[in-house]
Amino acid sequence: MRKINRFILVLFLAAVSTVAFGQSSNFTFGLLMVGPYNDHGWSQANYDATQYVVAKTPGTQMIYLDKVNPADRPGTTASQLAESLVAKGAKLVIFSSDDMSDEAVKFAQAHPDIFVIMSSGDQVWKDGKNAKNIPNMVNIMGRMEYGKMIAGVAAAITTQTGQIAYLGPLANDETRRLASSVYLGAKYAWTKYLNRDISKLKFKVTWIGYWFNIPGVTSDPTQVADDFFNSGYDVVVSGIDTTEAVTEAVKYAAQGKRVWAIPYDYVDAIKEGNAVSLGVPYFNWGPAYVSAIKSAMTGKWTSHFEWNGPDWKNINNPDTSAVGFNRGSVLSKPAAAGVDKFIAELSKGLNLWKGPIVLQDGTTYLKDGVAATDQQIWYLPQLLQGIEGQSVSK
Amino acid sequence: MLIELRNISKTFDTVQANSGISLVVPPASIQGILGENGAGKSTLMKIFSGFTLPDSGDILLDGERAVIHSPADAIRHGIGMLHQDPLDFPPMRLLDDFLLGREGGLFPDRRGAARAFRELAERFGFVLDPEAWVDSLTVGERQQLEIMRLLWIGSHVLILDEPTTGISLPQKEKLFATLKSLASDGMTILFVSHKLEDVEFLCDSVAILRQGRLVGTAKPPYLTKDLVGMMFGREIAFPERKKSPPGASVLSVNGVSLEGARIRIRGVNIQVRAGEVIGLAGMEGSGQSIFLGACAGLTRPVSGAFCLDERDMTGRSHHDFKREGVAYLPAARLERGLVPGLSLSEHFVLSEKKKGFFIDRRRAKKLSQDRIAAYNIKGEPDSPIESLSGGNQQRMLLALLRDPLSLVLVEHPTRGLDIESTVYIWGKLKERCAGGTSIVFISSDLDEILQYSDRVLVFFAGRVSPPIKAEELSVESLGLLIGGKGWEDFERGEADA
Amino acid sequence: MRDSRGMRAFFQVGGIVFALALTTVVLVASKAPPFAAYLNIALGAFGSWEVFSNVLVSWVPLLLATSGLLLTFTVGLWNIGIEGQITFGAIFATWAMRSLQGGGTDPAFVIMLSILAGALGGILWAMLAGALKTFGGVNEIFGGLGLNFVATAVNLWLIFGPWKRPGIASMSGTVPFDKALWLPTLTAQSRLSPSSIAIAVAGIVLVYVLISGTHFGLRLKAVGRNPRAAYLLGIPTWQYMMTSFAICGAFAGLAGAIQVTAVYHRLIPSISSGYGYLGMMVAMLVNYRAALAAPVALFFAALNVGSIQLPIVLKLDSSLAGVLQGTLVLFVLLAQGAREFFARKGGKR
Repeated sequence: MRKINRFILVLFLAAVSTVAFGQSSNFTFGLLMVGPYNDHGWSQANYDATQYVVAKTPGTQMIYLDKVNPADRPGTTASQLAESLVAKGAKLVIFSSDDMSDEAVKFAQAHPDIFVIMSSGDQVWKDGKNAKNIPNMVNIMGRMEYGKMIAGVAAAITTQTGQIAYLGPLANDETRRLASSVYLGAKYAWTKYLNRDISKLKFKVTWIGYWFNIPGVTSDPTQVADDFFNSGYDVVVSGIDTTEAVTEAVKYAAQGKRVWAIPYDYVDAIKEGNAVSLGVPYFNWGPAYVSAIKSAMTGKWTSHFEWNGPDWKNINNPDTSAVGFNRGSVLSKPAAAGVDKFIAELSKGLNLWKGPIVLQDGTTYLKDGVAATDQQIWYLPQLLQGIEGQSVSK
Repeated sequence: MLIELRNISKTFDTVQANSGISLVVPPASIQGILGENGAGKSTLMKIFSGFTLPDSGDILLDGERAVIHSPADAIRHGIGMLHQDPLDFPPMRLLDDFLLGREGGLFPDRRGAARAFRELAERFGFVLDPEAWVDSLTVGERQQLEIMRLLWIGSHVLILDEPTTGISLPQKEKLFATLKSLASDGMTILFVSHKLEDVEFLCDSVAILRQGRLVGTAKPPYLTKDLVGMMFGREIAFPERKKSPPGASVLSVNGVSLEGARIRIRGVNIQVRAGEVIGLAGMEGSGQSIFLGACAGLTRPVSGAFCLDERDMTGRSHHDFKREGVAYLPAARLERGLVPGLSLSEHFVLSEKKKGFFIDRRRAKKLSQDRIAAYNIKGEPDSPIESLSGGNQQRMLLALLRDPLSLVLVEHPTRGLDIESTVYIWGKLKERCAGGTSIVFISSDLDEILQYSDRVLVFFAGRVSPPIKAEELSVESLGLLIGGKGWEDFERGEADA
Repeated sequence: MRDSRGMRAFFQVGGIVFALALTTVVLVASKAPPFAAYLNIALGAFGSWEVFSNVLVSWVPLLLATSGLLLTFTVGLWNIGIEGQITFGAIFATWAMRSLQGGGTDPAFVIMLSILAGALGGILWAMLAGALKTFGGVNEIFGGLGLNFVATAVNLWLIFGPWKRPGIASMSGTVPFDKALWLPTLTAQSRLSPSSIAIAVAGIVLVYVLISGTHFGLRLKAVGRNPRAAYLLGIPTWQYMMTSFAICGAFAGLAGAIQVTAVYHRLIPSISSGYGYLGMMVAMLVNYRAALAAPVALFFAALNVGSIQLPIVLKLDSSLAGVLQGTLVLFVLLAQGAREFFARKGGKR
């Protein structure tokens, strides 16, 4: 009997020590992810970035919660979950998804002593439409427009049929500007590198209705991708969080069709289908998180909005570039050359977000020669002229 | 097969269902098991067929101890049981039901089975279509199917629990002949019944149970008085037949035609008068049930009209009929009449007019105790309804009737009930008649029809006779009509009119 | 007395022990310390008033959903459409808020109206499932599932369409309501709103009384156990089915309204939070007895909230709570089946 008692006591102490363990480091920060930490997409990009922070910033320790959404965690709110991270010693919390923006604001206002990073948001962008004064909050976003333009170039040079499709989630300002960026890149390569008539390039956007498939609610992305491939679109650029575009391309390629796909979000997403992936435009949140967390540790924190572009010296430099393009092995030589040329031109100041830019309904958005402001890009009201598909979700 | 039951005892809650029953049944004989409802017959047979485990006691087959822990064990020993409520699987065809339980490969031999099915049906004169659906059968036809199935799966011992309820007189005669020939071929047959005349006619030996004990055995020639004495511990007096004076018209059925799943009935006419008892006679499935249901508003007539007390009720719902004082008591008591899982007391509350929002428990208990006493039901207010025996369930249905009623429609009021319950139930029904309530009932028991009806409607394959005065009928003439003979007179009568 | 209280308890406890054992095996198999995991869940749910108040926040809508489902189960219906009914409750509550917000109406009155609107939304959506069942012959399970999809689609459409926030339509939902229109909480820091607790407790008490003490409840039981006999006994069966649908819908709608007014303060894409399905598990686990619903729902809510600690502290997948809930229901149901089996073996006439 005494032996058993002692055994239980040991177990108990072990358990208590694990519980207490979380509070022993000098700067603990927490990460909230909307999906699983290993989703090969948006959430994993954030998770990997925080691992990078811990590696690069001595004295930091990271705790996290994934699947932060009411469907996976009934009855919880992101702000409540952030509080449980704080209870475990977190002094800074990263809210890594647009889903959580209201809860992040609620939390930041209720806990002025805790630093908050709201990724992908515009809450403290002084020039933005939703500007709020929240001293303990920072917004971080990558200029994915560049990655998407590069994807557009790769797609335009690769397509055999002259038909490119964009598998979109739901139409909002962010997704419109990203779909439009792919088009701008494709149009540039089509007319400037291939010297072909822009009217011969078909570019279609289909919104499935959400970031991933919800049977019965969204269009089935598998079905949408199939429709693309069956109706002559041979390159599908994905804008959703899951990998149906790649999976279906692999299936069609196995049947001997010449089709390709471009996934999104996560640097290694091309591994889902090496035989069809031209490359992936991805986020590299690490460097921005390092600098924000360092500023919090050293007392140099200021509330601000940052929208970080690639490091033009090497857009795939993990220490400096916020946005990159990871090439796939199937990217053809001419396409790779086009991509190289395009990156070089961008680094020298090429700006495709410059007039004349006409919206889908024919109104001029930017007059000839006028470069878009960040606000004009961020809050794009419609798709651009030349894109087939709806500017607003059905 | 020689069967020995040794000291079988079984207790449910507080009821001693079987206590120390020992019985030897020689091979190639028909053993009668006689007793009133709740005497323990069914329990004993369920123990023997593996549906229930005894608390103590042994079963020996041909001198060896047999372990029977499940119906499957029983089937392996060649024991086939025909239940009082046939246990089949409604949503399938007869042939599939027939195939069930037969040992064999993954793909049953349907052709062989169909042949066997037809042969067996022919042997007994059962009119069953192997491709029909089981749920379209009446209780009687289901029993027929079950008998055939048990014979086909090769049982050496056949247990029949009240098999003669629900089948017609000619079918009964055929069945008895078959049982006798099966016995002479070496089959051991246990025949459970409360019907003296059946047991007397058929059995080589009779064991009588009362209150869970074996109170005696008898061999032919039987003395009815002794058997009754052992069954009840006293003698039962049958009531005198009383003529009730015809009153005002309660229900008038005018040229009603009905369509059921397999049957259509044309042009029924009858005026039911207050205090009158109408018997509906006919083989199972001849249209009586659907007609009775239509009188309750459960089925709408294709044409014609139902009037209650001069009010046209055609096409109205059962609940409208109910409001006019019509009550309907189905034959399948647990399936259609009572709610398993609810207590007696809860049934009484449901049957009463709602008073207030909350249930007055004290009042409900009082009401239940009064009714239980008034209807001589063996059960407590809090017992679940399914714990009652068949006879007590029927008493319960009667006890649930509201007052006042103008018309009571009853399917098989005494099916499966012992003599005492039968007499009691009819006593209660007749009490209502004396108060002016009319009764229309279905029965396959010709004696019951003749004993209690004032007038009779005979059903044969969808044809309905005009009302016949009961005193103008005998068992023989009624039996002929049920079998489809002697209908020409009615048709001539119709032509004349 | 074979099927006694003692036997019942024995089998129930047996089911729980089996479920715990299986979950422990899963933990050990994934190389996690089981004891620490359970301890962390317990501490995460009951370790402080703060975390416990979070448990209560989750308890309220779960208990409301369970309460409603007890009624539909009693009448023999599987109201799987309850998820959609919660969603519609939330939509109606949001609609009321949006219509009345800023109109100068007294905030307390607006909140009250919005909660009532939520109940109304749930009722309407439940009646639709009921009508499909009664008049269209559509089984309530399939009808309910279909209506759940429709409700989700309508919800998303509203969030990304007509009710989208200015600027960027967001996954985060509609614009949060004014703070004045949040259901008042215990303290400024707390998430717990006493009035929502009061609604939930009143709800389960109401259901308990309805089922165990009223003519209405008894009639529901009769219809649930034998509709044909109930009809012959004079009970208008489909009306009772519809009524139980409607009441369940009202409870679901209240749950949705509380999600909107007390928890999220806006309409979000997955507003129902799966409480409907979880409520079905609770209802099955308590074997449809109302008296047990409150503690078991609390236990489920505690698992939900407590399991948050698993990834934080032990880097364990917190779906463990779901595994435990699922196996609990499974094993307790199995144990019930086993008990009934043995009881039948023991003797039925």
